Amino acid sequence: MMKTEKIKLFLVDDDAVFLKLLEIQFLEHADFAIETYATGELCMKSLSHNPDVIILDYFLDGIEKDAMNGIETLDKIKAYNPDIPVVMLSSQDKIDVAINCMHHRAFDYVVKSETAFVRLQKIITTIFRYKKMEKELKWYMERM
Amino acid sequence: MERTKTHNSLYASSLIEASLDPLITISIDGKITDMNQAKVNITGIEREQLIGKNFCDYFTEPKKAREVYKEVFAKGSVTDIPLTFRHKSGKLTDVLFNGSVYKDENDIVIGAVVIARDISEQKWAIELRTANKELAFQNDEKEKRADELRIANKELVFQNNEKEKRANELTIANKELAFQNDEKEKRAAELVIANKELAFQNDEKEKRANELTIANEELAFQNDEKEKRAAELVIANKELAFQNNEKEKRAAELDIANTELAFQNNEKEKRADELGIANKELVFQNEEKVKRADELRIANYARRLIEASRDPLFTINTEGKITDMNEASVKIIGISREKIIGSDFFDYFTNPQKAREVYREVFAKGFVADYPLTIKDHKLTDVLFNGSVYKDDRENVLGIVVVARDITEQKRIETELIEAKVFAELATEIAEEAKSKAESATIIAENAVKAKQQFLSNMSHEIRTPMNAIIGFTKVILKTELTLKQREYLQAIKLSGDALIVLINDILDLAKVDAGKMIFEQTPFKMEVSISAMLHLFETKIQEKNLVLIKEYDKKIPDVLLGDSIRLHQIILNLVSNAVKFTSKGKITVSVRLLSEDDEKVNIEFSVTDTGIGIDNDKIKKIFETFSQASSGTSRLYGGTGLGLSIVKQLVEPQGGKIEVESRIGEGSTFRFILPFLKTDIIQEIENEILEIDTEIKNIKVLVVEDMALNQLLMKTLLDDFGFDRDIASNGKIAIEKLELKSYDIILMDLQMPVMNGFETTEYIRNTMNSRIPIIALTADVTTVDLAKCKAVGMNDYIAKPVDERLLYSKIISLVKKPVTVKCHGNEELEISKTKCINLNYIIHLTKSDPKLMMEMITLYLEQTPPLISAMKQSLQDKDWSLLHKSVHKMIPSFSIMGISSDFEIMAKKVQEYASTQQQTDGIPFLVLQIENVCNQACSELEEELNKIKNTK
Repeated sequence: MMKTEKIKLFLVDDDAVFLKLLEIQFLEHADFAIETYATGELCMKSLSHNPDVIILDYFLDGIEKDAMNGIETLDKIKAYNPDIPVVMLSSQDKIDVAINCMHHRAFDYVVKSETAFVRLQKIITTIFRYKKMEKELKWYMERM
Repeated sequence: MERTKTHNSLYASSLIEASLDPLITISIDGKITDMNQAKVNITGIEREQLIGKNFCDYFTEPKKAREVYKEVFAKGSVTDIPLTFRHKSGKLTDVLFNGSVYKDENDIVIGAVVIARDISEQKWAIELRTANKELAFQNDEKEKRADELRIANKELVFQNNEKEKRANELTIANKELAFQNDEKEKRAAELVIANKELAFQNDEKEKRANELTIANEELAFQNDEKEKRAAELVIANKELAFQNNEKEKRAAELDIANTELAFQNNEKEKRADELGIANKELVFQNEEKVKRADELRIANYARRLIEASRDPLFTINTEGKITDMNEASVKIIGISREKIIGSDFFDYFTNPQKAREVYREVFAKGFVADYPLTIKDHKLTDVLFNGSVYKDDRENVLGIVVVARDITEQKRIETELIEAKVFAELATEIAEEAKSKAESATIIAENAVKAKQQFLSNMSHEIRTPMNAIIGFTKVILKTELTLKQREYLQAIKLSGDALIVLINDILDLAKVDAGKMIFEQTPFKMEVSISAMLHLFETKIQEKNLVLIKEYDKKIPDVLLGDSIRLHQIILNLVSNAVKFTSKGKITVSVRLLSEDDEKVNIEFSVTDTGIGIDNDKIKKIFETFSQASSGTSRLYGGTGLGLSIVKQLVEPQGGKIEVESRIGEGSTFRFILPFLKTDIIQEIENEILEIDTEIKNIKVLVVEDMALNQLLMKTLLDDFGFDRDIASNGKIAIEKLELKSYDIILMDLQMPVMNGFETTEYIRNTMNSRIPIIALTADVTTVDLAKCKAVGMNDYIAKPVDERLLYSKIISLVKKPVTVKCHGNEELEISKTKCINLNYIIHLTKSDPKLMMEMITLYLEQTPPLISAMKQSLQDKDWSLLHKSVHKMIPSFSIMGISSDFEIMAKKVQEYASTQQQTDGIPFLVLQIENVCNQACSELEEELNKIKNTK
């Protein structure tokens, strides 16, 4: 049932260095189609590309104050399409920030570090397993 | 005895028979010789049958048994050999054998005794043990199996758990799904609500539409009203137009009336003007009357003036006839006024033709000035004529007015002047001759002076060079081992040499002052110390002559002053040595007194008083002259050359001081001089004459450039004494060659050398070789050589020959010391450790050392970080805490990516925290600065890395 296709991944972060880092790491492991955006607005515009996963930085309004920050972007994404799983990234490790993200229906919360990539990998694997299960369930439910 | 033996043997045999252990005696060849009952039992064979039989026949393993007894005979004993007896009936008995040989009284082996122990029980025990062991082993195996089974069970349990978890997750997923469905339903519900909302909105719209129609009707009604108003307005406008026409008619009528009025006014003005003109005419007439009156007055006045003038004045008409004259002209001509009038002007001149010319010229040009004529009268009078035309108001020429000036006096003066001029020219010529003579005399004099100087300097060089050698070598010899007499003689030579040098120096100083080349230094020195040191020199001499030296020093004098201590030294030296020379009893007083003081300078009075022979008053002036002493006999009696006082004078006066003498014959003299010194704040440590050889700075390499072999030898000896390394070069060229081969710490450069002299060599070293090596000039010639010239070519210092070794040493040390410290600095600067702050291992690992990716990463960092740094700094300045928080936040991930030490990460997190709590602590700027520094360093290092990667690509 699983179509072997490239997984479409959005990376949204205004820290270009880290963005590049993630991109490199993702490109090495498995075939992902990666699109990178530096601000929330840019990401919103490209939502029509129907990504499978969005990886979103919490602190998007770093230097320009007018940009949307991570939470706002999250809300907008969910408003557009609640099915897309969004993973929040941040260099902050405060628990209340994480909980806040979860309240806004983020799929998961990862702290930026050297191990961030590994965690992201795991999360994506989980997402796909979950999706797979969902599909199976649906299939079965239809049969019933 | 026999009884006991038998008793013993009986006893023994009974013991043996009693034992339950089979005992056998075997002969050497293995035949049983004897046995006990136990043996019989065990074999089940009768005693008699046993004897003589083979021992080994009764075993299951006869061979083994044979070996046993062989062993017994071989070794002498055997223990614990396991064997098995065979009973006659077949029963087998396991036993352990002990055997040993037995000997007779002569120690001869008779046979072997063998004892068996029944070990069936033991064997059984052993077998049991073995069986147990086997069992135990089996149990172990079982346990192991059991363990494995346990583990397998656990594994199974775990698997079950996993399955359960999965099942749970599935339920959760299902729940989630259910939840999602709920959400969808909610959305659907919301959608319904939205629709209702929309319907409601539509109703609202209809209401609005209705209201709009009503409004439109209202609007139509309003428009009707407006039209009515418009019609009314039209009528009103027509009315207004009619009114306007009426107004215009009135206006036209008014215009006409105005024009009429204007015309009337013009007429009035014309009348008024005419009246004005008439008035002006009247005024003018009155003025004319006044003018006439004035002219008349002026004419009278003028007439009186003319008459009063002593210069003859004529008025001549166009025909040359005199029309008028003044009293002076009457006087000069000597004829009455009435007669003159009407007569010809030129009649009265010695040269009528010329006179005619005069007045013609006047008429032609309009004037004539300074025309010489001579009036013919009772005495011929030379006059100068000025004439000019005079006109009336209408510019018509009425005639000429002519004024004459008596110039007899002037003429006389003129003649006298001409004479005088002639005389003057003559005088000038004589003067010029004299001047040229003087110039040539000056040139001759200057040449003479130059020659004298040259002579002196040459002499000084020529005298000094051998003097250098004499004194130098004398000193050197004095340092070696000498007999007493030798030392005495050498001391005498040295003294003479020193005296000679002093004399030469004096002469040269004089010459210098004479030539005006004496320069006085302004260096800081300690007055009191200086004076004490000087006076110290005289102590021995004074004591020798039984004199007393008294020193008076004013405490108010400042400690350190600016002046020329060497010259002061000289002055006082001369004065005191004179005092000592000319005093045979009594005391010599040297006093230094502060005379006056202001903010910048002090005036100090020095005086040297003695109780000597005194000086005659009329000789006082003479003594200051060069080479003259008070009397011609003084030199003979007291020695001296007569230079001292003149030098003193030449030293005191140019420095702005004055020297005076007071003296009485037979009582003594006082020499007093005053010198100004500038005050200074500089507290200078004077490196004094007493210098110890610094053992630390020993290995200095000196290059001596000197052409005279004698001097070379001297320098060699001196430098060896100091313990320096030295090389000799005979001229500049050789010196440069040596410099190119080897490096030296300092150069001692003689100035006069063949091929390449000291200046040329120094120039070459400084400019072409670009070396900063210290150079000291050695020179015997201190008059024509300017210190400035030495410094100009780049020499660091100079020292006069004969070389004072301590001075040389101190100069070398001071010049060599400096570069050493500079070198240290240089090294330190280089050593600023550049410890890298970045560590690219992570990136290398990440990109698997792919250069392109690495370059991308580094480039991104380099693009991103500087704006962040500036934002951080700016936000700190503006106290914009949220911006600071954000910008520092952004930097944190890059710290770990680039391998920057985690200290900085912690710092950045701290800054972030402070910023987010809007709290300012004193540490933030410092932390920000550190972060900034490390980021900048990281940026520069990363750029290097980037370039490296680019280049290796």
